[in-house]
Amino acid sequence: MSEILLETKGLALAYGGFRAVDGVDLSVKAGTIHSVIGPNGAGKTSLFHCLTGGRKPSEGSIVFAGTDITHRPAHTRVGIGMARSFQVTSLFQNLSVKENLRLAAQGCDGDKALAFWRSVAAGKAHLATADRVMERLGLTAKAETAAGDLSHGQQRVLEVGMALCGEPKLLLLDEPTSGMGIDDIPIMTHLIAELGKDHTVMLIEHNMSIVMTISDTITVMSRGRILVEGKPDAVRADERVRAAYLGEAAA
Amino acid sequence: MKRLMTSKGLFGGTTLAVLAILVLLPLVLPSATLATEIVIFAMAALACNLLLGYGGLLSFGQGLFFGAGSYLSALAMIHGGVGLVTALVIAIVAGAVIATFVGMLSIRRTGIYFVMLTLAFSQTGYFLAYTLSKWTGGDNGLLDVPRPAFALFGFDLVDLKGAHAYYVFVALIFLGVYVGARRVIDSPFGSTLVAIRENESRASAVGFDTRHFKMLAFTLSGAVTALAGALYGMLINYVPLDNIAMAMSENIVIMTVIGGTGSLLGSLLGAGTLVLMGEILSSIWPRWPLVLGVLLILIVVFLRGGLWGGVESLIGRMTRKDEA
Repeated sequence: MSEILLETKGLALAYGGFRAVDGVDLSVKAGTIHSVIGPNGAGKTSLFHCLTGGRKPSEGSIVFAGTDITHRPAHTRVGIGMARSFQVTSLFQNLSVKENLRLAAQGCDGDKALAFWRSVAAGKAHLATADRVMERLGLTAKAETAAGDLSHGQQRVLEVGMALCGEPKLLLLDEPTSGMGIDDIPIMTHLIAELGKDHTVMLIEHNMSIVMTISDTITVMSRGRILVEGKPDAVRADERVRAAYLGEAAA
Repeated sequence: MKRLMTSKGLFGGTTLAVLAILVLLPLVLPSATLATEIVIFAMAALACNLLLGYGGLLSFGQGLFFGAGSYLSALAMIHGGVGLVTALVIAIVAGAVIATFVGMLSIRRTGIYFVMLTLAFSQTGYFLAYTLSKWTGGDNGLLDVPRPAFALFGFDLVDLKGAHAYYVFVALIFLGVYVGARRVIDSPFGSTLVAIRENESRASAVGFDTRHFKMLAFTLSGAVTALAGALYGMLINYVPLDNIAMAMSENIVIMTVIGGTGSLLGSLLGAGTLVLMGEILSSIWPRWPLVLGVLLILIVVFLRGGLWGGVESLIGRMTRKDEA
């Protein structure tokens, strides 16, 4: 597949005089796992905010599935097939795992959920989606557990699952392994690889070793710009990437 | 139908408890009027609970909706000569419209600024009622509010002049509101409201336009609060300026908190406690609100989940003992 699902042109985000994102042209092909990596402060998360609608870009455009979404508010991006996870776990802590996922499924219908005269039990499709996603995440046994009582690793997995409930065309994952223990990371890596089979995934990661194994394309950012883009092997071998990363690691 | 009768169903569980309380109230209390007052304020607390307990929205505008319901229904009866049902419908619609407007502007801010906005609206309403004394009677209140018979299509069906007849009428409306509120809470809307309370940015990220949900919560809450206000005016045949005052908003919030936020039955408990305390203590000691203050402090500090939360944990402890 070579159809482009998400494309940015000259995207920039300035905080005052500081340009966190400084003219990024990015193309995410449908059906691929596309990772954006880079050292701390490279502008990954700012780029992510622009894509999800959390921040309004100062310049440039974002086109998703043929529609210009540059100025679309965040919540309306779900309906057209974009879903995101958060870098810092953001769940409904006091609600059960199943209810978290059911709400995420319900969110795709947007304002249809304003129906205050109907019973939740009547929304069978949402309950079915929640069950299916739980199965996929391996959290079925924890269905009735409050999200806040899950282990950190499980919360990160649920975080990704929340994005999955919208049956999105594009999954935007912001550092899904952040704060995860070394033992949990392979679970997440495996999950993302699995998801990549049915979805287009755009992954923001700090940890380079994870993305090398599962990505189709890797974009390396540094100081708000794209440094290198290519297949994992090419990126791994690139001198500039080594310099950007090793420079940081050595420091 | 069978599903509806189970403890999770709309007509089972706490609805049965409410039904029992409604039947017992006038039998236990010295007067049906007192029982009616409790039920009316329970309705207002219930509406406040939808905002506070489920939506996490602390509104000090409830008195405005209550007062507006009182005034507008009374004025429609006095000057428009409308009947009971029309007057109540006017209150409901007016409450919904005013609350939607207040909600629409208030929810543009969050946290303390949101609370301040609802407070400002409430104060505006109070001084508006105070200023329009030609209509509202200002400080003296609006006198001679009628309590027409329950009529449909021009036929008087039930005379509500008697205290007991009016109690039954109000209690039936409350039961309807209670069942309706349970449905609302168990609806996609209600569950989304809880989600917004829990984590608004997450709710927005999964696709909800959270403003629409908060606004609808206001609309529903305002409609029910104004209905309670209208019933209260008819109860005491009078609309005091207090009905729209800051103290009314406070009282409604206090009843909700004392009873327990996030539990509908708690609202009935909270309203009952406050009205009864006022009734009993005020005749003994004019400084009784001091006791209320202490009670509020104790409940907020020691009894998370309010009185109903306390009752629930007590029931839980007792049943566990039985099993042991």
